[in-house]
Amino acid sequence: MDLITMLKTMLDGMGGTCAIFFLTLLFALPLGMVVALLRMSKVKVISSITRAIISVLRGTPLMLQLIAVTYGPYYLFELPVAKNKLVPVVIAFAINYAAYFAEIYRSGIESIPVGQYEAADILGYSKIQTFFRIILPQVLKRIMPSVTNEVVTLVKDTSLAFTVSYVEMFTIGKQIANSQSSFVPFVVAGVFYFVFNAIVDYVMGKAEKAMNYYQ
Amino acid sequence: MKRIIAMMLALMMVFALCACGNNTSNDDKQKADDSVKTLTVGVDPEYPPYAYMGDDGKYTGFDVEVAQAVCDLLGWKMEIFALNWDQKLTQLDAKECDCIWAGMTILDSMKEAGYVISEPYYDNTQVLLVKTDSGYKTSADLAGKAVAVQLGTSGEALLNGDLSSLKDSFSNVVTCNSFLSCFTELGGGSVDAVFVDYPVAAAYVAENDGYSIIDEGLGAEQYGIAFRSGDQELCDQIQAAIDQLVENGTYQKIADKYPDIVNNLIFLNK
Repeated sequence: MDLITMLKTMLDGMGGTCAIFFLTLLFALPLGMVVALLRMSKVKVISSITRAIISVLRGTPLMLQLIAVTYGPYYLFELPVAKNKLVPVVIAFAINYAAYFAEIYRSGIESIPVGQYEAADILGYSKIQTFFRIILPQVLKRIMPSVTNEVVTLVKDTSLAFTVSYVEMFTIGKQIANSQSSFVPFVVAGVFYFVFNAIVDYVMGKAEKAMNYYQ
Repeated sequence: MKRIIAMMLALMMVFALCACGNNTSNDDKQKADDSVKTLTVGVDPEYPPYAYMGDDGKYTGFDVEVAQAVCDLLGWKMEIFALNWDQKLTQLDAKECDCIWAGMTILDSMKEAGYVISEPYYDNTQVLLVKTDSGYKTSADLAGKAVAVQLGTSGEALLNGDLSSLKDSFSNVVTCNSFLSCFTELGGGSVDAVFVDYPVAAAYVAENDGYSIIDEGLGAEQYGIAFRSGDQELCDQIQAAIDQLVENGTYQKIADKYPDIVNNLIFLNK
């Protein structure tokens, strides 16, 4: 197989990789905030249930969660397996990453001094106003480096999707490698992940700078 | 300068998104064509010469070509489903494919579990692939040496079952997740032999210099096509179609393209 065909074939799979990446972020970033708020709920039952869920999601391999989400419904309730594999894959990724994002958000929210809440209260801000106008903007600034960390990991984790036969770039690379007894596809895959993450790094760096308006 | 870089990156992003778009439109096309019966064939596309990615980036191989010929004969549409080999039976059960047709060893455990299996079509043996200059000639020469085997293959099952005495004679068995990594371990010298299906070894020897095969007829086994329990009718239909292809010479024509396996094809040696 010549290099051009190889690149073209692998490029076909990059669509699959990008789809997981963008859809996971789309769902996991907001879902993480909901989970974080539930985790910090003053109602003991809610916060401990959320805590238990987070520890299961972080404590078991993503590969296992992919299998559970895709084939679990079939084995438990005889439901058909999704024809479009992107659906269970994104569900599994989004839930898993939401658990990590939730803890990052929590670290940010809890780092804001109590004095700010008291000051906002005296100035007449409602609880919701305090959160969205005063707390959240500061939280976003503080958590950016940790979020970038997770996003970079997500790019590389997309290769796990083949566990449930979702074909993405790395899977195709592996197929070419084994079909042609060649290591070149792995080099191509490495370059692709690196370039992808360089873009992520650049974009997140820009965002961080844009939010740095007090310094 | 910065602006140019930013533009280039933005373009790459757009390009990536376009690629997503293309993919979904492909799926739609496949869904639209429901009038013709579709046979979804589950293969392991990392398993030359039975199923692999050809030079043009499309799936091919002996099993894929025969399956295509069967579908052409029956007027069906063929779709290839790339199995995760470790989970092939789960994926068959879950109706993700209609059959597993990819150099699959017939195991008694599959029949016991109720899977419908076609007539065996290939006689396989396990062989040891070694470097020619290492001078190993028999499996006894490899006593005390390290050997690699692929996870989830019948070779691995044999070493842990019927051939456990052979395994005990090795100093160490390294389990790899693909044939390529097994062969790379051998090339790199971290193991002294690879325990592998004959045709896979033959294909590798044909492409790479300096390797040879020790064939002692170890672990004789047969390949077949697996269907879900209850799909006897589908199995019979496909078996009848294959018989027809054997008769009209199409089977022979396909087999001739794969010199590594042609001698062990059961239907051609009857």
